[in-house]
Amino acid sequence: MMSNRLFKIIAINIIFIWLAVLALLPFIMVVVASFLQQGDENLFNWHLTVINYTQLINPIFLHIFWRSLVVSVITTILCLALGYPFAYILAQLSEKLRLACLFLIIIPFWTSSLIRSYAIITILKTQGLLNQLLLTLHLIHQPLHILYTQYASQVGLVYSLLPFMVLPLYATLEKFDWRLVDAARDLGANRLRAFWQIVVPISAPGIIAGVMLVLLPAMTLFYIPEILGGAKSILLGNLIKNQFLEGQNWPLGSSISIVLTFFMALLIGVYWKFNKNKKQVLI
Amino acid sequence: MRYKSLIILLMLIGMAYSQNNVINIYNWSAYTPKSVIKLFTKQTGIHVNYTTYASNEELYEKLKADPSIGYDIIVPSSYFVQRMAKEGMLEKLDLKQLPNLKNINPLLLNKPYDPGNQYSIPYLWGTTSIIVNNKYYDPKTITTWNDLWQQRFYNQLLLNDDMRDVFSIGLAALGYSINTSDPEQIKQAYLKLRQLMPNVKLFSSDGAIPIMLDEDATIGVVYSGDAEQMTKGNKKLRYVYTKSGIIIWIDCMSIPKNAPHLANAYKFINFIMQPKIAKMISMQLGYSSPNITAVHGMPNRIQNNMIMYPPQNILAHGQTEGYLGKATQALYLHYWELLKISG
Repeated sequence: MMSNRLFKIIAINIIFIWLAVLALLPFIMVVVASFLQQGDENLFNWHLTVINYTQLINPIFLHIFWRSLVVSVITTILCLALGYPFAYILAQLSEKLRLACLFLIIIPFWTSSLIRSYAIITILKTQGLLNQLLLTLHLIHQPLHILYTQYASQVGLVYSLLPFMVLPLYATLEKFDWRLVDAARDLGANRLRAFWQIVVPISAPGIIAGVMLVLLPAMTLFYIPEILGGAKSILLGNLIKNQFLEGQNWPLGSSISIVLTFFMALLIGVYWKFNKNKKQVLI
Repeated sequence: MRYKSLIILLMLIGMAYSQNNVINIYNWSAYTPKSVIKLFTKQTGIHVNYTTYASNEELYEKLKADPSIGYDIIVPSSYFVQRMAKEGMLEKLDLKQLPNLKNINPLLLNKPYDPGNQYSIPYLWGTTSIIVNNKYYDPKTITTWNDLWQQRFYNQLLLNDDMRDVFSIGLAALGYSINTSDPEQIKQAYLKLRQLMPNVKLFSSDGAIPIMLDEDATIGVVYSGDAEQMTKGNKKLRYVYTKSGIIIWIDCMSIPKNAPHLANAYKFINFIMQPKIAKMISMQLGYSSPNITAVHGMPNRIQNNMIMYPPQNILAHGQTEGYLGKATQALYLHYWELLKISG
């Protein structure tokens, strides 16, 4: 018994120390850094200031923030449009097929997403697989120039984030009681109405979880627009990187990350609130 | 008893790591061939720890965040030598301990970024200029930086995703110094570069070579080392020097302040400046060697290679990137961000 208790204490303490040292402490350092001044010779001057936040109220930052938001909203909508039918069909397959399909979704995670982005290059490039296929089929006569455009980075983002939409949707739809749809049909609802009024509302938690998991990372996955989009625009991730490396302005880079963290926390807060209300309605 | 053996084991590991005869090299990835490192260990008995970085900024930030991190040799580019020297991050070199300096090309020594080479010794160098695919354009029609603005290059141009490199093109096209700190000139360069954006197909951050080889871009501004590999892989590619002045880059060996193995660092720099070793490095990596004795020992096809060893009259008109100071750097970054969001 004694050793069991000891084990518990040790295990909890290790996790606690781990989180404190590697998650909480760095975060506090970033918060502190965001209130310091940029130094000339050193990284920081120990003068408290809010200038790093007031500096953010400028057209460049707002433009970049807005553009990142637009890109990630488009990514989320596309992921939902592709992921929902996918999860819907998946949930109705036989158990064997279902497991096989889930396995296929998870396999790509065994390879780094950076490497998979390079794989997309070989598909989309001027002499790549897609163009060769279309040319051989005589569907086009000139190669398409897709790589290094916004479309290419959109393709990369949707591809990378789609599993994060599919998995939570599948988790809610798998538990869905399909007899509810039969009941709705018996009571005179057509297929579409049964879907909109029964399936969608009940799977809403899955939709929201999927949207959160796609929307937030899409704002900061800077390497995909860099590799596939030709680095012709700046997203929030690049902006933070630039301030730390090119500008050597760690305080400003820190304040941008804090604003982003705050924005994400806000979205999660809204989600929690929504979830809570939802439960009350059901009860 | 169990603990005792554990402690002994830990002590042994500690001893293995604290052995004195080592040198800690912090360098660009794949910038010193393994054969050269092995030879150094064989000749001197000094064990080499080779760690890598991907950008000058990374090197700078790491040394700044922890000045006693323990590197003995670093290889910053010219403009970072100037900056780090100015901020007291580099050891002043005792040139008397470096007799092999006599092998280095005088045209690459005593440059404005490090007068008298007090802090740095050239390691490898090269130029930045235009590569063009002659299947699509006649290379003879491209003679100045301004030619890049022609409409026929719409959505075809590859540039490096590097703020200073891109601004150098704008500034050189306007006839200004690439190291200007005049806000008006920097602004004009930004406005000039904005007009170039329709021609820009991509800013490449991870290797321009396959992009030019497979003709995803048909014209580009690239480093000479990359150009050398490109012209070998695709016979239609030509490297062109502009008449309006070329851009020279020099990567340098320096010793950071607080280097724990100073004597070994001097041994290493001297070792690299041996003509035989400099030749090995340059021939294996495809970048130009500053070691003139080494170059004279290379095959004729390399000595006469215009990409790697441009003629003296062109070399004499080169500009080298220097450090600008924090405020000017921030101004460049401001216009760089504006340029990117205009695209």
